[in-house]
Amino acid sequence: MMSKVFIAMLALAFGQAPSPKPQATWQEAKAGYVFSFPRDHAAHPDFKIEWWYYTGNVSAADGRRFGYQVTFFRVGIDHTPANPSKWAVRDLYMTHLAVSDPKGQRYRYDEKLTRGGPGLAGAKADTYYTWNDDWSAGLTGSREPGAGNRARHALKAAGKNAGIDLVLDEGKTPAINGINGINQKGAREGNASHYYSLTRMPTKGTITIDGERFEVSGLTWMDHEFSTSFLEPEQRGWDWFSIQLSDNRELMLYRMRRADGSHDPRSSGTLVDASGRTTHLTNTDFTLTPGRSTFKSTNGAIYPTEWTVSIPKHKIDLTVTTPLADQELSLVQSTGVAYWEGMIDVAGQSGGQAVRGSGYLEMTGYYGSLGRIFSGS
Amino acid sequence: MKPAFTLRRGRLFRQFIIRPLLAEQIRTITTVLGVSLGIAVVIAIQLTNASSVRGFETALETVAGKTAVEIIGSGTGVDETLMPQLGWLREYGIISPVIEGSAALVTADPRSLSRRQMEAVKILGIDILRDQPFRDYQLLEIEKRNHERATDFNTQQFLEILTSPQTVVITEKLAARRSYSLGSELKLMIGDRVLPFVVRGILKNEGPARVLDGNFIMMDIAAAQLAFDRLGRVDRIDVLLPDGAPLRQGYGGQADIEQTLQAIAKRLPAGVFAQRPSRRGEQVETMLAAFHTNLTALSWIALIVGLFLVYNTVTISVVARRQEIGTLRALGLTRNKVLLLFLGEAAALAVAGIAIGLGLARLLADAAVTMTASTVSTLYIAAVSAPPDMNIGHLWTAIAIGLPLSLVAAAIPALEASRVPPTAAMRGHDTLDMRVRFKPAALIAGFTFLIAAYALAQLGPIGRRPVFGYMASFAIVIGGAFLVPAIMYFLAKIGRLVLRRRLGVEGLLAHANLTSAIPRLSISVAALAVSLSMMVAIAVMIGSFRDTVVYWVGQTLKADLFIGPGIRPTVGSEQTVSEDVIATLATHPDVVALDRFRNVDLIFENNLAVLGAGSFDVVLDYGGLLFKSPANAREVVRGSIGQDVVIISEPFATRYRKRDGDTIDIPTPKGVMPFKVVAVYYDYASDRGVVIMDRGTFRKYFGELSPSGVAAYLKPNVDPEKVRSEMLGMLAEGHRAFIMSNSTLRGEILKVFDSTFAITYALELIAIAVAMLGVAGTLLTLVLERRRELSLLRLTGADRRQVRRMVIIEAALIGAVSQGIGLAVGFGLSLVLIYVINVQSFGWTIQFHVPLAFLIQASIAVVIATSIAGIYPARRAAQLVLSHDE
Repeated sequence: MMSKVFIAMLALAFGQAPSPKPQATWQEAKAGYVFSFPRDHAAHPDFKIEWWYYTGNVSAADGRRFGYQVTFFRVGIDHTPANPSKWAVRDLYMTHLAVSDPKGQRYRYDEKLTRGGPGLAGAKADTYYTWNDDWSAGLTGSREPGAGNRARHALKAAGKNAGIDLVLDEGKTPAINGINGINQKGAREGNASHYYSLTRMPTKGTITIDGERFEVSGLTWMDHEFSTSFLEPEQRGWDWFSIQLSDNRELMLYRMRRADGSHDPRSSGTLVDASGRTTHLTNTDFTLTPGRSTFKSTNGAIYPTEWTVSIPKHKIDLTVTTPLADQELSLVQSTGVAYWEGMIDVAGQSGGQAVRGSGYLEMTGYYGSLGRIFSGS
Repeated sequence: MKPAFTLRRGRLFRQFIIRPLLAEQIRTITTVLGVSLGIAVVIAIQLTNASSVRGFETALETVAGKTAVEIIGSGTGVDETLMPQLGWLREYGIISPVIEGSAALVTADPRSLSRRQMEAVKILGIDILRDQPFRDYQLLEIEKRNHERATDFNTQQFLEILTSPQTVVITEKLAARRSYSLGSELKLMIGDRVLPFVVRGILKNEGPARVLDGNFIMMDIAAAQLAFDRLGRVDRIDVLLPDGAPLRQGYGGQADIEQTLQAIAKRLPAGVFAQRPSRRGEQVETMLAAFHTNLTALSWIALIVGLFLVYNTVTISVVARRQEIGTLRALGLTRNKVLLLFLGEAAALAVAGIAIGLGLARLLADAAVTMTASTVSTLYIAAVSAPPDMNIGHLWTAIAIGLPLSLVAAAIPALEASRVPPTAAMRGHDTLDMRVRFKPAALIAGFTFLIAAYALAQLGPIGRRPVFGYMASFAIVIGGAFLVPAIMYFLAKIGRLVLRRRLGVEGLLAHANLTSAIPRLSISVAALAVSLSMMVAIAVMIGSFRDTVVYWVGQTLKADLFIGPGIRPTVGSEQTVSEDVIATLATHPDVVALDRFRNVDLIFENNLAVLGAGSFDVVLDYGGLLFKSPANAREVVRGSIGQDVVIISEPFATRYRKRDGDTIDIPTPKGVMPFKVVAVYYDYASDRGVVIMDRGTFRKYFGELSPSGVAAYLKPNVDPEKVRSEMLGMLAEGHRAFIMSNSTLRGEILKVFDSTFAITYALELIAIAVAMLGVAGTLLTLVLERRRELSLLRLTGADRRQVRRMVIIEAALIGAVSQGIGLAVGFGLSLVLIYVINVQSFGWTIQFHVPLAFLIQASIAVVIATSIAGIYPARRAAQLVLSHDE
C-alpha cells in the first residue's frame, strides 16, 4: 500500500507553504466513489497523491525464487503553477524499484525522482500509462485470454543493479478496499483514499539482478490508491501485509502505529475470496503481532521480520516469515526515506485447513523522527 | 705557453665588468630598467591574455562540473520537447538540462542600473531534482539543520526552491558581501526587466559557487526559463558519463570521449549537436586570438627597444675600455675570454632586468587587465578577469626570452671587443674616435630588409594569424634601424647651417658634437626612432580606423533611437527586449516605425560568429548597410527576400573566404541548412563575422524569438532626446530598457572604439619611455666622455648655461631626428598594419587616413620629452666642468 513517507512529507510540507492559490485545488476522497475499469487504472490528476504499486513473488523455471517491487508515485505539488514553463512542477514522479534474491541473499534497488517537465515523466489520465524516464507501467496492446477485452499490464524498469520487464494479467477483478468506495485513514473526514487492489496477477517476464537475467513467472499484487490527504500528525508509520494464500484467497491488512505506541483505530484490511468477493476487515477483526526475529539496519532502524496474523472471525491464523532479512529500501542519502519492503512466506490455518502462501510486507516509520515532521514542528 | 695573466675569471669579471657597471650607475640603471620594462611588458601581456580566456575557462569548468558531453542547439538552445526523444542519452550517463545566463544585481544604489557599473552575476538554472551528481552544490543553510538529524531535511525550503519562480539560491560570498540572508529580497535585471527574487538557500563556497568570485546564483530550471524568457527551450543538455571525472584528464579518457561524442552525434536529431564543454573555451580562445596576438606583438616592441639598450651599453663599455682590453689581451687573456667577459656583462644586465621585470610585470598586468577587461567584455565575453598568479613558468619564460636575446644583442660589440689587438694597449688613451665611419653595408642591409618587408607583406596569413605581416613590420623596423646612420650623416651635412642660424653657437657646437658621435648615437636614435615609428604607425592605423568607423557609423546607423536590454549581451548570455516594452514604445505618437533585430551565437566552422536577423526591407529602405559587393547589392538583396539567402559581413567573408554567390551551411533548429550569400557588407562592430538573414527567413528556421534590440524611426523634426525621455517614462515599473539616441549611440561606439585601443597607446608609451631612457643614458655617456672638450669649452669662456643649453639642444636634436625617422618608418609600418595585419587578423577594410593634428602634436611632444631627458645629462655636464677646474 504505501511507503509513502517522503510523499507524505512533501505533501505536508507544501501544505504549509504560505502561497497556495485559492482557486483550483486538490480533490478529497469522498464516500460514494464508484470505481470503473479500466478508467480507474489511469491517473487521477485532481488528487494530490497517487501510486501504482506492484509487488510480486516469482520464480525461474528451475524453481529459484525472486521478489520484486516497483512503485510509481505521483505527488501533486502545485495544482496550477503560476509559472507557464513546462518545467514548473505540478507533480513529482517518484519510482522505486527493488529486486530480491533469497538464494543469493541479495536485495538491489534503485529510484527515480523526476518532474513532469516536457514529457520526462507523467501519468496519463485517459488511459493507464505512467512513466518516469524510461521506466513505465501501463496497459499493453495484448489482451488477457478468457477475460473479455481486458488489456495486460506491462512493467519496465531497469536500474543499475536491478531490472524488471514483466507482463501481467489482471487475474481476479479489482478488489475495492474500504467501505463505500473509500478507505478511511484518519479521524477527519477526507483523510481517506480511493484504494483498490489486483490481488492475484499471473506474471511472466524477466528479472535482472546484478546484470544476471532470469526468465520468471509467478504472482503479483497490485495496489492503486489515490487521495489528497490521509495522514494525521500522530500517525507515525505502518505495517502492511499483502498475502496470497494457497486456498485461492488473498488478504490485505495494515496497521497504523501512533506516536504514543498505540494502534490507530483506522487500521483495516480486506479478505478476498476465490471468486473475488471482498470482505472488509476492521481494526478489531485482526491482530498483528511481531515475533522475535528482527533486521537491524545500519541506519539504526530495527524491523521485525517475523509476525503472527490472527483473524478469529475468519478462523485465520498465520505465521509470517521472510526468506531474506535485509529488504530495506534505504534512500537516506537522496530523499531521506528508508523502509522495509520485502517478500514473505506464510503458513498456518485458514478455515480449519492448513494453508501456505506468499506475499509482501511493508514496514515504514522505523527510521528517523517522522513524528516531528508529521506534527509540523 | 702558460699565460702570465693569472687573475681568476670570477675576480676579473667582478673587477672589469661589475665594478664599472656599479660606477656608472645612470647607464646601468637605465639599461636594467629598459630591459626590465621590456620583460615586464611581455610577461604582463601574457598574463593579461591568459586572464581573459582563463577567466572564461575557469568559469566554464567550475560550472560544467563533471559534464563530459553537452548537447547544444543552433544559437537558440535546444527545443525542450526534444528531451523525451533524447532519453537514449541515459545510456551514456545522467542527463541534465541547463539554462545559463547573466544578470545584473540591482541594489539600492542607482548606479547598479548603469550599464557600466552594474555588478554581473552568473545564473545557472538546473533541474534541482536531478542535478546533484553534476555539480557539487553544498547548501549551507539546509546543511546546517541537516546536520542535527539526517532525516530533518528541510523539505519546505527545498520545495520552495523547486516551485516558486521567485526563488534563488545564492553563494555564501555574495550573501556576505551584500548582506543577504534567507528570506531577503534580491532584485536582478535580466534583459530589460528588473525582477524580484527571494533568497531561499545559501550555497557553500564550493563547486560552481566559486565562479565569478561568488557572483553566482542558482535557480530551478523552471524559474530560470521564466526569468530569461526562454520558455520552450533549454540552453543545453549536460551529460555526465558514468565515470565522468577522469575523462577530461587522462589521455585514454580523451579517446573514449571522442568515440562517445561521435556515437552520440550520429543519433542526434537535426538541429542539435554534441560537444565537449571545453569546446566553448576553445571557441572563446580562438575568438580572442587575433586581439591577443596583436597585444603580444606590441609587447615585444618594448622588449626589443630594451635590447637596443643592452647593445648600446655593451658597445659603450667595449669602446670606452679599448685600451684596457688591449692590456688584458697583452697580459695573455684569450679572445674567447674577452668575448665571455662582455657577454657576461650583458647577462648581468639581463638578469637584473629580468628580476626587476618580473616584479613590474605583476603591476603592469593589473593595469593591463583593467584596460583590456572592458574591451574583452564589451566586444567578446563576460568574465571576471583577474590576472592569474605568476608562477615559476613565467620566471622561465622571462629568462628564456630575456637572457638569450640580451646575449644576441651584446654579441656584436662583444665580438668586436674580442678582436681588440693587444697593441691597443700601446696606443693613446683617447681612441674614442670610432671605427664605424659610414658603412655602405649598413645601407645595403637596410634596403634589403625593406625589400624583404615588401615581399613579406604580400603573403597570406597562417591560420588567422598574420605571421608574415608581423615579420614584415619587424623587417621594416630593422631596415629602418640600419638606415639610421646614413640618414644621420645626411642630416648632419644639410643641418649645420640651419642650426647655426637658428640656435647660434650652442647649436653649432651641438651639431658638431652629435656629428662626431653619430656612430654611437645611431643606436639610441635607432631605438627611439623604432618606438616612435610604432607610435606613428599605430596612430595612423587607429586614426584611419576611427575615421572609417565614423563614416561607417554615419552610414549604417540611420534610426533615431535604439532600444536594447538594460544589460549588455555577450557570448553565451542572450539578453532580449520584452514584447510588452516594444508594444508600449510603439504607442508613442512620434514613432513612425519600429524595427526589431535579433542576434544569436552562430557556431560556424567551429568558431563563434554572429547570426543576425533583421528586416531586409527596412535596411534597404533606410539605407542602413554599406555594401562591399556585388555592385548592385541593393537590388539583389531586395530581389531575394523570402528565399534562403544571407548577407555576410566583410570580416566573415575574409575569415571564411566566402563571397557573394557562395553557399554557406548554417546550423538551425531544423538542421544544418544551405544558404546562398547574396552580398557582402562592411561591418566594424564585430571581428567574429556576422551573417544576416531576413526576419522572415530567420523565423522560418528559428521560430519567433524576442528581439535583441529594436530600432525606432521617428517623425521628422522630432527631438529624439525628448522622445527618449518620454519613452523611458512610459515603461512600466520593473522594466529597464536601454534607449539611446542616434548621436549617443555613435558616441558610445566611438567610446568603445577608443577604450579598445587604450592599451595600445599604453604599451606604446612604455616603449617610448624605454627609448627615452636610452637617450638620456647615451647623452650622459657622451657627456662623461667629453669631459676634456667640455672643460676646454668652459675655459675658453663658455658659461654653464651655454653648456647646459648645448646638451639640451643635442637632446632635442636627437628627438627631432628620431621622430623624423620614426615618421618615415611609421608610415611604412602603418601600411602593413592597415593593409596586411588588420585585414588578415580582423578582416576589415580601413580607409587610409593621416591623423595630421595628432602627429604634429606628438612630434612636438617627442622633441620636448627628449629635451627633458637631456636635462640631467646637461646638468651633469655643467657640473663636470667645474669639478675638472679644481
